[in-house]
Amino acid sequence: MKTTPENHQNFFYFFYKCSFILFCLLFLILWTEISFAATIKIGEINPLSGKLAKQGMEIHQGVEVAIAEANEAGGVGGKQLKLISRDDQSQPDVAISRAEELCGWEKVRALTGGYVDSLVGPIAAVAKKYRIPYVASASLQKELVQYENPYFFRVSRLQGFTEPLCGILTERFKTQRLAILHSATPGSTELARDLESCLKANGLEVKLIEKFRPGTPDFTPLIAKLAGMKIDVIVSGGFTPDHILMIRQLKENRVSPKAYIGPFGIAYENFMQTMGEDADYLYSTCAWNPGITEPGSDATSKCFVKKFRQMFKQQPNTTNMHGYTSAKALITAMQAVVNKGQTLTGDNIRLALTQLDLPMPMEHLVFDQNGDPLHYRHVVVQVQKGRLVVVYPPDRASGQPVFPMPSWEQRN
Amino acid sequence: MWTTALVSGISLGSFYILIALGFALIFGVTRNFNLAHGELVVFAGYVSYWLWKVLAWPFVLTFPAAILATLFICLGLQRLFARLYEPQELNSIVLSFGMAILIQNTMLFWFSGDYRLIRIPTLSQGLRVPGFYLSYGQLTLLFLSLTVIAILYILMYRTYLGKALRATIQDKEAAAQAGINVAVMGTLAFCLGAILIGLAGPLYGCTHYLYPSTGHQVTLLAVTITIFAGVGRLGGIILAGWILGLAESFAVILCGASWREMVAAVLLLTLLAFKPRGILGKGEQ
Repeated sequence: MKTTPENHQNFFYFFYKCSFILFCLLFLILWTEISFAATIKIGEINPLSGKLAKQGMEIHQGVEVAIAEANEAGGVGGKQLKLISRDDQSQPDVAISRAEELCGWEKVRALTGGYVDSLVGPIAAVAKKYRIPYVASASLQKELVQYENPYFFRVSRLQGFTEPLCGILTERFKTQRLAILHSATPGSTELARDLESCLKANGLEVKLIEKFRPGTPDFTPLIAKLAGMKIDVIVSGGFTPDHILMIRQLKENRVSPKAYIGPFGIAYENFMQTMGEDADYLYSTCAWNPGITEPGSDATSKCFVKKFRQMFKQQPNTTNMHGYTSAKALITAMQAVVNKGQTLTGDNIRLALTQLDLPMPMEHLVFDQNGDPLHYRHVVVQVQKGRLVVVYPPDRASGQPVFPMPSWEQRN
Repeated sequence: MWTTALVSGISLGSFYILIALGFALIFGVTRNFNLAHGELVVFAGYVSYWLWKVLAWPFVLTFPAAILATLFICLGLQRLFARLYEPQELNSIVLSFGMAILIQNTMLFWFSGDYRLIRIPTLSQGLRVPGFYLSYGQLTLLFLSLTVIAILYILMYRTYLGKALRATIQDKEAAAQAGINVAVMGTLAFCLGAILIGLAGPLYGCTHYLYPSTGHQVTLLAVTITIFAGVGRLGGIILAGWILGLAESFAVILCGASWREMVAAVLLLTLLAFKPRGILGKGEQ
């Protein structure tokens, strides 16, 4: 190429342009690093899309409230908390890749969130690999705390459901015609198994145990089978959509058991609104609700409700509270590490979590040596005229159970 | 118990037929594998729900609106499918999979992740027949499904248009050489498919529940029945729907609820092993 003054000018112009772009990029990277250095990153993985999107979003809202509260109070050690949320799309393989991204690339200090064991389990395994503490928001399967994973903690456990259910069935209902239906998920299957053992130990016989796939399109043949066996009490470990269809088809077929108990997915405002009067007299269990709180925690419960309503313009539910409790546990543990003058490493946060003693509206949070919450316990509630009434245990009851529940013909 | 299982099996099977017919018709005529079929059924249900709940329309009037909405989307989808290159089946799977995700997330955004029900009190009442109770909801489902099947049967087997559609399903090129406008047949198949989807959606919301991600189950069902019936065999779909509905019902009674899907899968695999061209297939041609 012939060297001309124009070419020289072009070369220098090009060089200056590249240098300017490079400088801008470097500045942007440095600025981002500096601004992130002033924050503490907390990772959160939830099913924000797919079949568990609703529950995942509710957990996420609860986590957001805890983070906002902490930041308003000055953060942890003067640093603001930065929540990095990821969507696992309700799929375990996606949950693994999101956990890898948060632990390996984003270098978060701790993880929270998670709904159902099939998604929580893989995240817990990744957290262990990176030695990062993970406080799961909703997990029940016993096996998950038996993997000797010192970095795994959770705010719920199966016994919290089994004990009150077994209690009301043996002490109040005392029926000999009982059926346990359960969804083909680890938590629901374990609940059915544990409940059967407990009932057997208390002299009650379970006439039928049936497993069904979540999202079964038709329960009519199963309902016919239950009616044929003259089943009085149905305990169904399905989730909200399964209850919707089951109740709908029980009504359509005019099959009226004396009690229908759905431990998961009934004690929700949304379920009661969707089902209308058909939700009346159904039993469920509840860990927390704006009107049902751990004794002595009314003030903190009201604070949470107020903050939640301010942020999301709606009433919180028990799933929101699970998200809030798990994030709050993590933040409190981090604060304890900072107060001791230690650095926020995975091991220090883990140690602080093992020593946690945190009164919360849902439970008095203390973890056992496996990471399970020691005092997580539900109450049995019944829907009465569109409201949740606590009917068991007696020391927390706010009303009497309607047993047997009126038949469909009597209701019309 | 057995009568209830029988009625439930036929009722469920009829609904399966209604869901699968639209998918089978579109696939048969255009060779487009529409994986967004289930999402469209759920979308039609949401349209009906919205009109019934928010605008307080009578439930019956929501059917034409749901049909119009799905017709609009289906014709748009057909335009997109028409731009695809060969292999048409494979490319249509990729395209419709993307569409399914798009529709699913749009529904999640518009209608939220709450479960929605279309609750018509009259439909939950019914008749007490000796041995079982038959609700008006089940009767409506059965009646509407059978009416649609009858109309479609007359259209396909008793009219010139139906003959042209069947010819296109059997051999697109031969049909074109015989003077049939296969492009028009394609549009017609999408329109008929949209009508069937628009009918199934509100019924789905009325007998089950609406949730943005339930569509893939509906698609899976439609694909299973289409394979069961044999591609392009609409008569086979009716038989396949009822067999599947009855098999699932009796499996629950005889073996337990956990065997339901297993029985359906075994039935499908057995059929594919002995009659790979579907239940009404006549072997290699």
